[in-house]
Order: sequence, then C-alpha cells, then structure tokens
Amino acid sequence: MRKAFLSLLAVMLLLGVWAAAAPIKITFNTLFHEADAKAMEKIIQMFNEEYKGKIEVELIQGRWAQYYAELRLSVLAGTPPQIGICHTNKLVEMADYLTPLNASPVGNLLEMAGIDPTKYVEAAWAAGELDGRHYLIPLDTHGWGLWYNKDIFAEVGLDPDNPPRTLAEFIDACERIKAAGYYAFHPAEDALPRKLRRAWYVFFWQMGGQLFDEGYTRATFNNPKGLLALQFLVDIFNDFGWNEPGSNGYNQFAAGKLGMLVAGNWFYGTAVKSGVNWGYAPMPNFFGVPYTWGNSHQIVIPLQPKGTPKEVYLAAMEVIKFISEHSHIWTMYGGHIAAYKPAAENPELMASEYWTRSGKWLNEMAQKGLVHYPINHPKGSELEHAIQAQIELAVNGVISPQEALAKAEEECNKILQGG
Amino acid sequence: MRWIKRYGPYLVLYGVAFLWIIPILWMADTAFKPTRDIFSIPPKWIPSHFTTEHVQRLFAEWPFARWLLNSLIVAGSVTLGSLLVSVPAAFSFSRLRWKGRDAVFMFLLVFMLLPWQVNVIPLFFMMTKFRFLNTYQGVALPIIAMPIGVFLLRQFFINIPRDLEDAARIDGCSSLGVLLRVILPLSRPVLAAFGVYIFNYAWNEFFWSMICLRKPQMVTLPVGLKILQGAFEIDYGLILAGAFMASLPSLAVFLLLRRQIIRGFTLAGSGVKG
Amino acid sequence: MGLKGRGAIPAPFSKMRKRIGRFFYRHPGIEGFLFALPYISLWAAFLAWPVVYGIYISLFDWDPLRGSKFVGFANYVELFREPRFWNAVINTFKFAGMAIPLILGLGLIFALMVWGWGRTRRGIVAVQASLFFPYLLTVSIVAIVWKWLLERDMGLFQHYLSSLFPSAPVFLTEPAWALPAIAVATAWWLAGYRMLVFQAGLEEIPVELFESAEIDGALPHHKLVHLILPLLKPSLLFALVLTTISAFRTFGQVLIMTEGGPGWASEVLALYLYRVGFDYFDIGKAAASGVVLLFLILVITLLGVKLLGLKSELQ
Repeated sequence: MRKAFLSLLAVMLLLGVWAAAAPIKITFNTLFHEADAKAMEKIIQMFNEEYKGKIEVELIQGRWAQYYAELRLSVLAGTPPQIGICHTNKLVEMADYLTPLNASPVGNLLEMAGIDPTKYVEAAWAAGELDGRHYLIPLDTHGWGLWYNKDIFAEVGLDPDNPPRTLAEFIDACERIKAAGYYAFHPAEDALPRKLRRAWYVFFWQMGGQLFDEGYTRATFNNPKGLLALQFLVDIFNDFGWNEPGSNGYNQFAAGKLGMLVAGNWFYGTAVKSGVNWGYAPMPNFFGVPYTWGNSHQIVIPLQPKGTPKEVYLAAMEVIKFISEHSHIWTMYGGHIAAYKPAAENPELMASEYWTRSGKWLNEMAQKGLVHYPINHPKGSELEHAIQAQIELAVNGVISPQEALAKAEEECNKILQGG
Repeated sequence: MRWIKRYGPYLVLYGVAFLWIIPILWMADTAFKPTRDIFSIPPKWIPSHFTTEHVQRLFAEWPFARWLLNSLIVAGSVTLGSLLVSVPAAFSFSRLRWKGRDAVFMFLLVFMLLPWQVNVIPLFFMMTKFRFLNTYQGVALPIIAMPIGVFLLRQFFINIPRDLEDAARIDGCSSLGVLLRVILPLSRPVLAAFGVYIFNYAWNEFFWSMICLRKPQMVTLPVGLKILQGAFEIDYGLILAGAFMASLPSLAVFLLLRRQIIRGFTLAGSGVKG
Repeated sequence: MGLKGRGAIPAPFSKMRKRIGRFFYRHPGIEGFLFALPYISLWAAFLAWPVVYGIYISLFDWDPLRGSKFVGFANYVELFREPRFWNAVINTFKFAGMAIPLILGLGLIFALMVWGWGRTRRGIVAVQASLFFPYLLTVSIVAIVWKWLLERDMGLFQHYLSSLFPSAPVFLTEPAWALPAIAVATAWWLAGYRMLVFQAGLEEIPVELFESAEIDGALPHHKLVHLILPLLKPSLLFALVLTTISAFRTFGQVLIMTEGGPGWASEVLALYLYRVGFDYFDIGKAAASGVVLLFLILVITLLGVKLLGLKSELQ
C-alpha cells in the first residue's frame, strides 16, 4: 500500500517537473504571404532556437483576405492566437478583440516587457493608441512608390537617374514615353478596384483633401479637389492616352512596355525577376504635398480568454520584442520598412541591394511622414467598397467623374448614418 | 467527297477539342517557361528556353508533396464516408416506407443549392468548439453531409425493378439483406460514378477548406494554390506549375476509369433496363 | 443472384437476428428511419444546425463581446432597403440564366458530337479527355487563367480578338460583359462533366430506333427533337440539377475575376454574403441575407419539382 502511494507520488512529481519544464507555447497568426511569410519565418526560427525549452512559437501564416474575420471569430470562440497582426486602419474596428497592452488583465505589459516607445517611428507608434489605451506595437511601414524603366527613359531622352519630381516634369516625361510607343504611366499596380481607389486617394490627399469630416459623420470628397483628382485619374487611362482602362500595370512593367508604375514595395521581387532595368523614386509631387498611400503592419495580442496566466502574456511580449529587435530581417527579405528605428540602421540592411535600390527611398518617405494611412472607421471596408465601385466605373468610362463622386458620397453617407 | 465524309468529323472533333484546351496548353506552356517570357506583350507561345524552375521551386520552397497527400486523405475519406452514409440513406428514401420520409427528403434537397457562405460562420464556431479546425475530419464531415449523394443514389435505386426485391423478400431477406444482396451488386457502376464525382468535388473544394484549414502543413491543394497566389501579385509560373501538377492525378483517374464513369451515369440517369 | 448462397449462421445469432427481423417487420417505419439515420444526423449537425443557428442570429444585432441585442426583423428591413442586396439577387439570377443554358448546351453538343461520330471511329478518347480536362481544375485556377486570358495586353484571347476585331470590348472592364465572360469561363470549366452525363444517356438509346427513323427518312433535327431529346430527359434533369447547384453557389470565379465589378455589375449573392459577413463583420445582416437566400432556393426547388415534373422522377 505504502509502496503504491510512494510510486504514485513519484509519478506526480515527475509529471510536475515535466510540466514546469515544458516550454510555453505561443501561437502567432499572421496574414503574410510569399516573401513576407518567409521573412517572418526566419525571425521566428531564430527566436525558437534562442529560447529553446522556454518559449516555443508556432507560426501560422497566410489568408490575407479574411484574416480579420477569422481573428475575431477565434477570439469569440475562445481560441485566439497569442500574437496577431493588425493594420493601423483596422484598430477602431478591432479594438474590442485586442488586449490593451498598457492595461491588460495582468498589468501594463509595455512596462513589464521594457518596450521603449521612442525607438519606434512616431507616426506608427501613435497609430496604436485609442482612447488612452495602447494596443499595437509597430512592425513596419509599407507603401507605394514610383518604379520606372531606365532603358525607356534613356531611349526617349530622359535622364535615367533623375526621375520626374514635379507635375510639369511628370507630364513631359509621360508625353515623351507615349510618343515612343510605350505605355507612359500606370498609377495603380494591377488596376484592381481597391488599387484605383488608392490612386485617387493619393491625388486627393496631395491636394490637401480630407475624405471624411472629423468624427466620420459625412463624406467630404465630393468637391472641386476630389473631382480634379478623379478627373486626373480618369484622364490617365483615357484622354491623356498614357494607359488604357483594365490594364495590369505589374504585367506591363515587367514586360518592359511601361515607362512608370506606381506600386508597393512588394513589387521588388517581380521587378528583379523580370529583367527590366528599373529605378525607384519616391512618389512625385503632383498637387502640393507628395503624399503616398501606405499602411503599417503592427503586432497585437488578441483578447485572451479569462484566466490566461501572466507567463503567457509575458512570453508573448518577449516574442514581440524579439521581432522588433530583429526587424531588419523583415525589411531585407520582406521589403517593408521596419518601424523599429535601430533596425533601419543595421549595417547588413544598409548594404543590401534591396535597401540601396529602393528601400531607402520608401524609408525616407516614411520618416518624413509622407506615407498617408487609409481611413480608420468601424465600417471602413464598407465605405471603401462603396467608393471603389464608383471610381472603377469612372475609370472604365461608364459614368462621368461627377456622377461617380456624387454616387459614392451618397452611399458613404448612407453607411455612416446607418440607413 | 468520300474523303470529307470519312475524315471531316475527325477534323471537327479534333478542332473543337483543340480550341477547348488552348487555356490548358497555355497553362502548361507558362509552367515551363522563364518568368521573362511569361511577362510578354503581345503574348508569346514559344519560350526562349524550356525551364523546370517553377516546378522545382514548388517542391523546394513549398510543402507541395504534403498538400498532395492532404488532398488525397481528405478526398479519399470524403468519398468513403459519403458512400457509407449515403447508400443506406438513399436506400431508405427510395425503397423503405416511413412517416415523413418524402417531406424530409424535400428538405434535404433544399440544402443542395445552399452556398457555404450561408452556414459557414456557425459552422466555424462549432468546429472550434469540437477542436476540429485544422484537422482532416473538420474539412471532411461537412462535405460528407452534403445531400448530393443521397439524391443521386436514390434516383438510381428507385428504378431498380420491384420484382427483384420482392423475390429476395420471399426468400427471407431482411431490408439489410435486400440492400446488400440485391441493390448493391446492381449498383456498382453508379457507386463508381458517384464516387468519382464526390472525390473530384472534395479534391477541388475551396471555400470551406480555406476557412477550416490554416496550418500550412494541413492545407489541401486548392488552398495551397491560393497561398501561392499571394496577397499583392500573381506569380503565374509558380501557380500554373502547381495547378498543372495538381490536375495530373485526376486526369490519370479519369483515363483509367473512363468506361466505368460513363456506364455509371447511364444508370444514374435513366435507370436499369430490363 | 445468390440470395441463399451464404453459409449457416450460428444458432444464437440467428435467433437474435430473427427477433430483430420480426421487430422491424412489425415496425417497418422505424427500420426505414434507422437506415437514413447516420446520414440524417450528419446532415443535422453540419448543415441544418448551422443554418438554424443562422436564422436565430439573423434576429440579433450580433456582438457577443458587448452583448448581442435582439432586434427582431430589423436586419431584414435594412437588407430589403439595400439596393446592393437586390442588385446581387438580380445578378445571381442573370448569371444562372446565362450559365445554365450555356453549360448544358455545350455539354449536349459535345456529347452528340462525340457519340454521333465517335462510335465508329478510333482515337476519340483524346477528344473526350480534352473536353473533360477543365473540370479537373480547381475554381481558383480556372478564374486566374481566365482572368489572364481576358487581360488587356497580355491576355491571349483578348489579344487575338482585338487583332481580328479592333473594336472588340475588353470584357472584364465593361459592366454589360463581365457576367457573360464569367459565365463562359464557368461553362469551360463545367461543360465536360455534363458531356459525360449526356453521352451516357445517349448510349442507352437502342440503335434499332435510329434505324427505323432512318427508314422513315427523318431529318437530323427531327431526330434530335422527336427522338433523342425525349429519351434523354432523365440525363437532362440530372444535369440540370447539378448545374443549378453550381450556378447558385458561384463564388470563387467572381471573387477572382472581377471582385464583383465593374461597380457592382457582377456581385452575386454568395459574394455579397461573404463581404457582409467576412469583410464588414455584420454577422446579423449576413445571416439575414443567408435566410433570404435559403427561402429563394426553397421556392426554386419547389418550382423545379412542379414545373419539370421532377416529382414523377422522385416517386
């Protein structure tokens, strides 16, 4: 009897030791694909090796299109990942589903983990706050820039090392490229509806336009500025003859038939592989302030079920801090500009081909605060769908820019007023 | 004139078939040409050189073999499970009488047209509670529950002449006996046909699999191909290489089982003669 | 048929079996239900229950974190006032109206061709395999390939078409052409399977019937209308059911090829539902539109049963 009791005790002890020694498991759910996914994998692999036996991160990636719905559903179902990703413009929509890092159930995680806000790009850090609560740790800034074909530039007598910066220079460049029989310019990657909308945002923002009033009570884009911006976008594809509706700028550029393309840093891989002799420049100044469209990936701890132990939160913060400190890898392989300032001074990154050929320009735009984030509203997706449907019709020449803006304004107001 | 009568139909048949597979040829062409030739305006059929670069990347950078295995497991268990539950149900709906039978059947039919989008959110919750997300059973069970098998098999069973069953019953067969010894032996072709249909359905099922499977090592081919597609742009060479490789197993099955499949439809469509 | 060809069963088992047999003999209804039970329980758990739960959710302003509010039919009222919803309903029917005849028509023509000319000829397998091959692809691939074929500069079809007819439309950018283009891509994908279904039906037709028709001097199209089609009715019905299912569930092609555009020109119900649920996370409204869709499908199924005489097939 005693023997049995003793052996039971021994087994329990063993189990206890085993449980204590088992590493804390952290699930990290991202919406990254391809090069981005590979870059994050690299960082997490390094983490898992360094923290072997203590913390173990399982990385699940992909599913860009329905990432937020799945994140919410997993919170509601009580099985959220411990770490996730959130774009800045989704914060208002997602806040209920996230752990406020400075007021978590186990205390101020930012302090406990020793996160220093001054080490992050200001605009990116500021975007993580809502009503005094801080939800997001910035990972990067990503956005659009100008890709141009150096061979075409040389052929039509433009300086391949001096891409256009002003509207006048830009128009001159486009006309020369057009005269040589190429597509001159594509302002919106592959011309998907949401890309066309972003191109319109860029022109509108550059004029100083605001899409909605403070507090999002109504749309404020159906005015001369909005109309001029849209007319410009429509004319690029029609009257100016710089391109044609329904064409895919990625493909045109990669085929060597396009002079200038506005596209994101994610185009880098294809640009290199295509064999085109390309250059990269910040977004030209068309209308006043050279804003570009962009966003920022930020790291979050989704709302955890009640009673989640403190160790789990701290382990998650450990992972987040590690990612920040290694985010030069994120930039080098994923192409997004690290929001952790020391990372942008990493010598390995500075010397990389990516940085010297394009990354540093995007970094410059980010540092100067020229990367304009999209709208941040609980009904953001619905509003943007309403806008882009009309923009697309205008670009394809189905309706006039006036009609498009009037219709978009009407639909947005209806959504905002809950009607 | 005689020449035309003899060879004209060939010309038409092969002509139409050729037109029909131009997209497939284009896919195959793209899968084996360098990226530079893929991005070409105007489109270019003959590549500067032949390359297996995309196929190699597919296996080196992505768990493509694992995806293939996952698809085989999911499609295989869906087929098996579907036959196991649909056969007795179809038998019951076609040849056994019970209260409310036809009403229940009509009810099932309605669910045939229902898109996944209608029930996917509650289903997702349920699967989370059961801890079935990222598992084979999680993907397979809702597909097995689709009414299409019951509908097709019932159509066939109904047309089996009553006298055969009556003879068996007189010989002392129970309902189970009738099913096993009369219905099933007659139904081999239709079972094969339905099996191929549901296998192909599960092999290509996209929406529910995409919701249910997140772990890269658990996803099936269609979801894997979606992962290859990326968020920002399309790596045509890689995706079409993947699509091409993914369709080869099904093509092999089709070529091997072609006769059985057609015979199966014969029976499913119009019932047994004699 | 070796009905009695089984070996003897041990006595106790046979006794139990007899008892069970007698029970079921007296209560045939229970037995019939038991045969259907495994399937029905799966159906109830994974199809019916989520739908019922969806109906329940559709009556709430659903937000479990802050507390869901019961709102009665408010979600429905909001939905019915939404032009985008009605647009999606109309698009779904438009798409079905184009895709179903196209898929069935092509399938039938292919089947007649392969059957009429192929019976007496060799080398027909290659033709059959070619026509069937697209069916083996997954929907996202079909959509990516067709989107690409129809692209303005690099698109193979658009390129050839524009060089033949300079004024040809760029299909996916014109509201009037987007849905038809998607229907064509869908037909390319699905027609091969229907071909097999029809071919099977055709092979069932006794050759003597044709010989007698030949003697009567019937013209080809007379043969088609008066002889072949009536005999093909079961296969036609079968294919019609499958094709209707596909048409109403259409999602992936639209999402990838046009994202529902230009404007809302190709937004079908499944896509609308997906966006309301997954993009806007308006779960109550998504559930409500799901219920409306369910109701529409119920009506279509009943109409189908009535109009097409499916009932006689079912009994």
